Amino acid sequence: MRSTIRRLFQIEHRIMIENKLRGTTMSMAPDYDKLTVYAKSFSGMTPELEALLIETGKKIKPKLAGITENFYDHLLTIPEASTFLEGRVESLKTTHQRWLEGLFTGPYDRTYTEQMYKVGDVHVKVNLPVEFMAGAMTLINSRLIESVVETFGDDVKRCSQVLVAVNAITGMSLLIMQQSYQEASLAEELEKFLNISGMSRTLFANLASAYKND
Amino acid sequence: MRSDMLTSILTELNGSSADIEASGVISTDGLMMAAVLPASLDEDRVGAMSAAMLSLGDRTAQELARGNLEQVLIKGEAGYVLMTYAGHEAVLTVLAKPNAKLGLIFLDVKRAAASIAEHL
Repeated sequence: MRSTIRRLFQIEHRIMIENKLRGTTMSMAPDYDKLTVYAKSFSGMTPELEALLIETGKKIKPKLAGITENFYDHLLTIPEASTFLEGRVESLKTTHQRWLEGLFTGPYDRTYTEQMYKVGDVHVKVNLPVEFMAGAMTLINSRLIESVVETFGDDVKRCSQVLVAVNAITGMSLLIMQQSYQEASLAEELEKFLNISGMSRTLFANLASAYKND
Repeated sequence: MRSDMLTSILTELNGSSADIEASGVISTDGLMMAAVLPASLDEDRVGAMSAAMLSLGDRTAQELARGNLEQVLIKGEAGYVLMTYAGHEAVLTVLAKPNAKLGLIFLDVKRAAASIAEHL
């Protein structure tokens, strides 16, 4: 019990700190502009890579439908993943392909971040395990790498640049989704604790504040 | 002022028994309204923890079909913590010595809680 309470204090405090860093409060949406900059700083996304992705899109986009098909075929072979896909594959494919096209369309701005953030949030709402995001992104990256090499393999330098750009946008997307997933999970866990304990959010915030230095 | 009035009730409560070491009136959100505490105790922590315990006690009483909560009593090696509602929006917390005569303390705390509720 003590360790649970301590963990929840940490969760509350961490949410407060993270929101403070992003200039938000618990009840407000995150600052997507700041999150965009943050995600780009980790993924190495630059204006040059963004331009390269858009330019590359002309040649890659025709292959994306095949990548989506292949991706879902693979997911259906994973028992843990296939249970989440029953009866939804076709609609998911449409959304997935639209997202893939977005990778090569841009702009990679706050709107893109907001969309990716919502994707992470939805993953929590439908109880998808956290590893599904990194796992799926690995599968997608593998297929995109194949396509890029197939398309630009004759020009090693260009091929290498495009691969870096693809890695940057998928890395940026994953980071945003994981941020969102983490916050949504913590918020859900905290909400459950508050419901069980009967504590109000204000009381819990006061409790966390009283122990903020621990 | 209400705060002075509450402090006066707490001072009287603490004086009613040598076994009572400290007391405080706290909002159900965990914020201290008035307290007569030793300097070694952090008001914010006493306040937040008391309200949290009472909230949890409330829920426990409901879940285990014990009716409306009257009080939460915690006994430690160094003494007791007694928490009770003072009206619907406040909590009265009392810290007492380990050998305290609980019957008398319950009575005094009940009276003090009723008096606090009247002044809120």
